[in-house]
Amino acid sequence: MGRLIRKKIGNEVYINSVRDEKFKSDRITVNLITPLDRKEATVNALVPFVLRKGCKSCPDFTELNKRLAKMYGAILDADVSKQGGFQIVELLLQFADDKFAINGEEMVKEGAKLLSDIVFDPNLDENGLFPKKDLELEKEYLIDTINSDLNDKRTYAIHRAVEMEFEGEPFGVSRYGYAEEAEKITGEELAAAWRRLIKTARIEIMFVGPGDPAAVEEVFAKRLALAEREPLETEKAPLVPYKEHKEAKEAMDIVQGKLVMGFRMGAPATEREKNAARVLSAMYGGTPFSKLFMNVREKLSLCYYVTSHFERGTGVMFVDCGIEFESRDEAQSEILRQLENIANGGITEEELAGTKLIIKNSLGSVEDSLSGIDNWYMTCVLDGLILTPEEDAAEIDKITAEEVAAMAKRAKLSAVFFLEGGKAK
Amino acid sequence: MNCEIEKTESRRFGSLYRIKHPSGLTVLLSQMKGFKSSYAVFGTAYGSVDTLIKTEKDGEFIKLPEGIAHYLEHKLFESEECSAFERYAKTGASANAYTSFDRTGYLFSCSDNFSESLEILLDFVTHPYFTAETVAKEQGIIGQEIRMYDDSPDWRVLFNLLCALYSKNPVRIDIAGTQESISHITAELLYKCYDKFYNLHNMVLAAAGDINVDEVISAADKILKPAEPFFIERGSCGEPEEVVQNYTEQHLPVSVPMFSIGFKGKPGTEKENFKGSVLDEIFIDALFDDYTPAYRSLYDEGVINSTFGSEVFCGRDYIALMISGESRDPQRVCDAVRAEFINAMENGISNEAFECAQKSVYGRYLRSTERAEGVATMLFNGYFPGVEPEELMDIAAFATPDSVMERVRNVYSAENYALSVIKP
Repeated sequence: MGRLIRKKIGNEVYINSVRDEKFKSDRITVNLITPLDRKEATVNALVPFVLRKGCKSCPDFTELNKRLAKMYGAILDADVSKQGGFQIVELLLQFADDKFAINGEEMVKEGAKLLSDIVFDPNLDENGLFPKKDLELEKEYLIDTINSDLNDKRTYAIHRAVEMEFEGEPFGVSRYGYAEEAEKITGEELAAAWRRLIKTARIEIMFVGPGDPAAVEEVFAKRLALAEREPLETEKAPLVPYKEHKEAKEAMDIVQGKLVMGFRMGAPATEREKNAARVLSAMYGGTPFSKLFMNVREKLSLCYYVTSHFERGTGVMFVDCGIEFESRDEAQSEILRQLENIANGGITEEELAGTKLIIKNSLGSVEDSLSGIDNWYMTCVLDGLILTPEEDAAEIDKITAEEVAAMAKRAKLSAVFFLEGGKAK
Repeated sequence: MNCEIEKTESRRFGSLYRIKHPSGLTVLLSQMKGFKSSYAVFGTAYGSVDTLIKTEKDGEFIKLPEGIAHYLEHKLFESEECSAFERYAKTGASANAYTSFDRTGYLFSCSDNFSESLEILLDFVTHPYFTAETVAKEQGIIGQEIRMYDDSPDWRVLFNLLCALYSKNPVRIDIAGTQESISHITAELLYKCYDKFYNLHNMVLAAAGDINVDEVISAADKILKPAEPFFIERGSCGEPEEVVQNYTEQHLPVSVPMFSIGFKGKPGTEKENFKGSVLDEIFIDALFDDYTPAYRSLYDEGVINSTFGSEVFCGRDYIALMISGESRDPQRVCDAVRAEFINAMENGISNEAFECAQKSVYGRYLRSTERAEGVATMLFNGYFPGVEPEELMDIAAFATPDSVMERVRNVYSAENYALSVIKP
C-alpha cells in the first residue's frame, strides 16, 4: 500500500489520497469540518441530508439513485460526526473501480464529478434556496434521527451520560443537534448554513482505492479554484480537565438496566500519555480478557457486556454495561475496584503484553479495508499527527505497566448515568 | 497426513483452495493478494432450529431446551485451565463467536501469529469441557443477554414477525431461548448436543486474507483427530404454507413505530433456497430500493425514512422476503408494499428496475470480496448448502427479468404475508 499523500488545493482545502491496488472499489469522502457550536449544530446537521437529495446536474432524487444503482450499486452516504471539538459534515461515495466497469466507463472521474456536484453545486432555485419539499421532509427525518437513540437503550444511556459529562462544555453539543431547533429551521437558514460551510469549513477530501487520485484532484481543484473561502480557525480544542462528579438516573419501561460511567484523567497532554490511556482502557474493559470482562462478567455473572472506551478527542474514558436493576451498586463498586486494582499496580506481564498485542493486531488490519484506511487517516489529519498504523503500533509497544498504573491513578469518576425500570416520567 | 487439495484461480476471490483433511473436515481458503490480515471461521451446521436430537440410529427424538445451541457456543470457550480468550491474549487475535438459526461459527481476525491463533481455534472447539458449576455460572450472563434482546425493538420486531409467519418451524424461537428454557440446560445435555453436531464431517473451516496453506494444513494435522462417521436425521417440522396471522404488535419505548413486513415463501432444498435467494434479492430490490417509484412515493408522503430496507431471510427449510423500517403509519406502508407486490406478480418488473437491481446486488457481492471477512464468510455460508461463491455471483450476473419472475411466482404469494409493528 502507498502511504498517505496530502496536498493543499485551496485555502484550508486538502486532498488526501491512499492508492491501493488490492481493492476493487474506490471511495471518496468530502469532510466539511467546523467547530462544534450549540447554535449552528442542528442546521449544519441538516445540510448533508438535503444535499443527498440531488444536485444541479441530477436534480431528481429517484434519477440520482438510479444513476448510483447503475454504477454497480454505488453507495452515496450523508452523515454528521463529531470528533473532539469538531462537527464534521460528511458525504461519501463508494463505487466499483474502472477495472470492474463492463463498458470501460471512467468510474473514478465520473464518481468525483458526481460527488463534487452533490456537495458544491446543489439543486438551488432562483432565490438560492433548496427545494421546499426536501427541507420539510429532511427536517422531519432529522428529528426522527435525533430521537432514534431511544430505540437502542444502550446507545440512549451512553448519549445521556455523554451529555452529562460535557454539560456546559463544547464537547457536549450533540452531533445531530436538537429536535426543538430542527423544527424551526427555515429555507433561508438552511441555504445560509450550506454557504457558510463551504466558505468557512476546513475541507478535507479523502480518496482511497485502486484508481488514480489525479482524476479526483483535478475535479475538485477545478471546482474549488473559483470558491470564495474564509476558513474558520480549526485548532484542536484542549482535552478536558477534571470536574466535579455528577450522577443521574432515569426510569423507562425496560427489563435490563444500563449503567454508564465517565472518567476524566486530567487532560492527558502528550501523545505518550494518550497512548498510556489507550492501553489502560483496553486492559480495563476493551478485550475479552480485560479486568471488567473477567470480573464483572465471568466471575460475578452480573452482565453480558461490559466495556470501556477511551475517547481520543476529549480524553474521557467511558465504561458501560447492561445489568439487573438491583445489581447496580454491586456492579458499580466492582467496576471502581478493578480500576483501583490497576492503579495499585495489579498488572501482570502477560496481561500487559496481551493487551498491547490485541491493539497492535487490530492496527494491523486497518489497511485491509477502504473504510479502515479512510477513518484512520481522517482521525490522524484531525489530530494533526499523521502516522501509519505500524508507526502507531510501535508507540503502543513502548508503554510500560507503570505508565498504565499512573494513568489509572489519574482517572477520576466524573459522571454516572443509570437507566432503570419503571414508568417513564 | 495426506490431504486432497483442489486449487483454482479466481479474479474475484484470489487463489482458492478446497482441502479435504483426513480427519473429515473440509477446509476452504482464499489467498488475497496484498492483504496483511486474515479472518478465519470454524463452525458447524447446528443452530437454534435444531431442537430435536436422536443420539442413536434407531432411538427416539429427544426434545432439547430452547437456546441450547447458543448456550453451548458460550460454554465451548472454557476449558479446564482457562478461557479461549485468555489463550488468544498470547497471539493478539480478536476472537468471537455467533449462533444463528442453523449455524454456529467461531471466528478470529488477526494480522500476526495466524497459525498460533488457528491452533487455538481448532483446539478449543474440538475439546469441550463442561461441569455443573461452569454451566450454572453462565445462567446469569446469558440471562442478561436475553434481557438485552427483550429490550431491543429491532430484535422484537423480527421475532414477532417470525411468530406471525411460522406456526411450527423452530425458526420462530428466540436464538438464545428464554430465562426459563435455559434453566433446564445441564452439562450432560450439552455433551449430547456437542457429540451429535460437532462432528468434523458436519463442520467447515473457512479462512481468507494473508493465508499460508501449509501452515493451515499442519495446524489441522496437529490438532484434529479423525471423526466418527456422521449421520443426521432431521424430521420435517410440518410447517403449512399459510401464515399464522397477518398482523402482530407490541409496545416498547421507541421514538417512531417500527415495522417489518414478511412474505413467506415455499422453501425448497437448502441449496435451492440459497441460490434462489439471489434472484429474490434482485426482485425486492427492483420493487423497493431507493430508486423505485414505490420508495419515492412513500418517502415523499413522509411515511418511510432512510431506515427503510429489504432483505431475503433464508435457511435450511425456510425462506421469506422482509421489508422493514420506521414509520408513523406502518399499515399504510404495508398496504402500499402489498399493492406493489401484487402488481409485480401480475405484470413483472420493468427492464430499468431490473438493471438497477441486478447491478446493485452484484456490486454488493463484489464489495464483500474485497474484505477478508467478507470472503471467508461467503465460503463458510456457501459450504453447507453446497454453493460456491463464484456460482452465487454468476447467478446475479446472468439473471434476467424472466428468470427472476419465474422463480418469484413459484415461491411467493401476496396472501402469505404478515406485518409486525412495535409501537411506543
